[in-house]
Amino acid sequence: MITRRTAARLILVFLAVPMLQQAATAHGGVVEEDDLCVIKVSYLRAHFKVYQPQVSGHKQFCEDLPVASESVFVMEYQHDALASMPIDFRIIRDVTGKGRFARMEDVEQIDDLDSVTVYYQPALTEPDVFTVMHTFSEEGDFIGIVSATQPDTDKVYAAVFPFEVGFTGLGYWPYFIAVLLALQLQYLFMSGRLKRWTQKKSPGATASMFVAAMLAVSAAPALATDGEVLVTYSVPSGSPEINRIHSWILHVKTAAGAPVEHAKIVVEGGMPEHDHGLPTQPRVTEELGNGDYKLEGVRFHMRGYWEISVTVTTDEGESVVVISLQL
Amino acid sequence: MGGAVVVIAALSVIWWQFRPVEPPAWSENEVVILRSLSLDSLPPIPPDPSNAVADNPQAAALGARLFFDPRLSGNGAVSCATCHQPSRHFTDGLAKGQAIGTSNRNTRSIVGTAYSPWQYWDGRRDSHWAQALSPLEDPKEHGASREQVIGLIAADDEYRTAYRALFGDLGDVSADDPTALNTAFANVGKTIAAFERTLLPTTSRFDDYVAALTDNDGQVRDSLLSDDEVWGLRLFIGDANCTQCHNGPLLTNNEFHNTGVLSAPGELPDRGRATGVRQVIEDPFNCFGAYSDDPEKQCAELEFVRSGPELVGAVRTPSLRNVEDTAPYMHKGQLETLDDVLRHYNKAPDAMIGHNESKPLGLSVRQLRQLEAFLKTLTAPTLPASIS
Repeated sequence: MITRRTAARLILVFLAVPMLQQAATAHGGVVEEDDLCVIKVSYLRAHFKVYQPQVSGHKQFCEDLPVASESVFVMEYQHDALASMPIDFRIIRDVTGKGRFARMEDVEQIDDLDSVTVYYQPALTEPDVFTVMHTFSEEGDFIGIVSATQPDTDKVYAAVFPFEVGFTGLGYWPYFIAVLLALQLQYLFMSGRLKRWTQKKSPGATASMFVAAMLAVSAAPALATDGEVLVTYSVPSGSPEINRIHSWILHVKTAAGAPVEHAKIVVEGGMPEHDHGLPTQPRVTEELGNGDYKLEGVRFHMRGYWEISVTVTTDEGESVVVISLQL
Repeated sequence: MGGAVVVIAALSVIWWQFRPVEPPAWSENEVVILRSLSLDSLPPIPPDPSNAVADNPQAAALGARLFFDPRLSGNGAVSCATCHQPSRHFTDGLAKGQAIGTSNRNTRSIVGTAYSPWQYWDGRRDSHWAQALSPLEDPKEHGASREQVIGLIAADDEYRTAYRALFGDLGDVSADDPTALNTAFANVGKTIAAFERTLLPTTSRFDDYVAALTDNDGQVRDSLLSDDEVWGLRLFIGDANCTQCHNGPLLTNNEFHNTGVLSAPGELPDRGRATGVRQVIEDPFNCFGAYSDDPEKQCAELEFVRSGPELVGAVRTPSLRNVEDTAPYMHKGQLETLDDVLRHYNKAPDAMIGHNESKPLGLSVRQLRQLEAFLKTLTAPTLPASIS
């Protein structure tokens, strides 16, 4: 049964939700998807974000910027093709009169683009990430234009995004926060908690947990299997250790114990808990016979839990075996 | 009356929170980790087969003279020691090096770098000697040219004699014979490298503490580090995750990590290793290059080098030895104090480019102070003045 109190709360929630969505809406070629700001240069996509490091540190903006200041625009490619395409980046004052709804067609109608340009980065191929920086001297409405050229066909893909500098960023937020506050206060009053809370302060138990670092070095050659292939390893120089590049011998056998010969072996590895791979790219450089393979270029740079995945490909098929080790 | 009770209770709670607590004894595992961080565990300097004179004392003596000689510069006023000042543990106390112009990054210490497979923040050089050559020709740093450097060796009697004893007659090296010129230029780098290899860290209070721990000398041990410093050390090897990267006796893994440091004012975010790895592969003075002295070209680090998106914005972990005296911090000197650095890691903000590998720590202000207190136990005397 819905009481009057619950109904009042529900109404407040419904009021709040659309406001939150509107506050986060982006425009033009830059769109918000799953909490990520994405620029779509035709079908080519990149994670788009703007920083004003001198005034707001690590805070990310989707495109509207709070103040006229040093602004760093970052595009992290989601589409690899962008890494090899010359990209140019232009910022113009918005003279289209279309504001938020300005599109490429509106920009194309501007006779003298250069006269309204406040920043231009000529085409640049950036293999890792595209960044430009502009220090805005005044607040106002601007339009960003990103063009990427397909090097083979010279086809140009472009994205246009109108944005505001001096954007207070408030929008519906103050109202939204007021609604939230009202909701909370109402809850406190209705549930009687506020009253109880002011009457006596409950004793707070502080539990401090001290987790001792378990950094035991385990160097025993591990056995790993995917059911078809068994992989063990040994380290001719002793045991795996950190901060020294060294070699392993991989011993590859079938489940029945027969050596696996003439296999193609690919090795990858990393620390799943830290989201990073090995610092090197180890490679099998020699088949030593009897199912033994020399793996060179192994290096660990942290203590902790590592996983090394060994992909063994033979005429019979492919097996992936994961070796785990605690360094 | 009731008010007084509340005040006393509040004060008691505050005292309880901040009361001095003696740290517990180290476990066996912890002692193993502590020993791994002590200078006593520093292995011998790894050989550098690419440099035939790496461990030659005459080469080191020539290299030392060149290191401090401002004639190796376009304006006659810049030597290696302009930025790598012995009195500051071979750094300069500036956000970015100041020579003829302003260099691109913060000046790193040279001490202990013989142990690193990579040089520079982005690892764009793979040996001491290849590194030593770059600043000489950088217009923002020494602003010299290889012709000028070789010209100086030829013109200075002592340099020419010392060079001849090591490498044979310099002969008539001109720009018309690039191989001869490059060989002589590389040789100059190799002597500077021989000198730089001799710059090793000296024992700090922390190392003495670990030695006392190993000798089971409780009295000496307790007199060496305060409780706060010991608590800081506990955090260092424990909850603060510092030893993920700052490990081994030099307190660095010499690998590349993105820790989400903000870009420097007026600059784009630094690509770091992503660019450095391309540069080291293309460097004509790298381990595989014609100027390496190793006929077998044992270049495992370069051969198995990794590139990829993980390296965007990643820079090489610096040693923490003498960290107290080597402010400002980070690759562009963005953070001025150790407190700034610790607060940065406590927060672990998202990186501007790439991915911040570190995770927020959630340490208290008191814990950050303890960590800072520990870091200051890593300070050791600067090298003897005789070196300069």
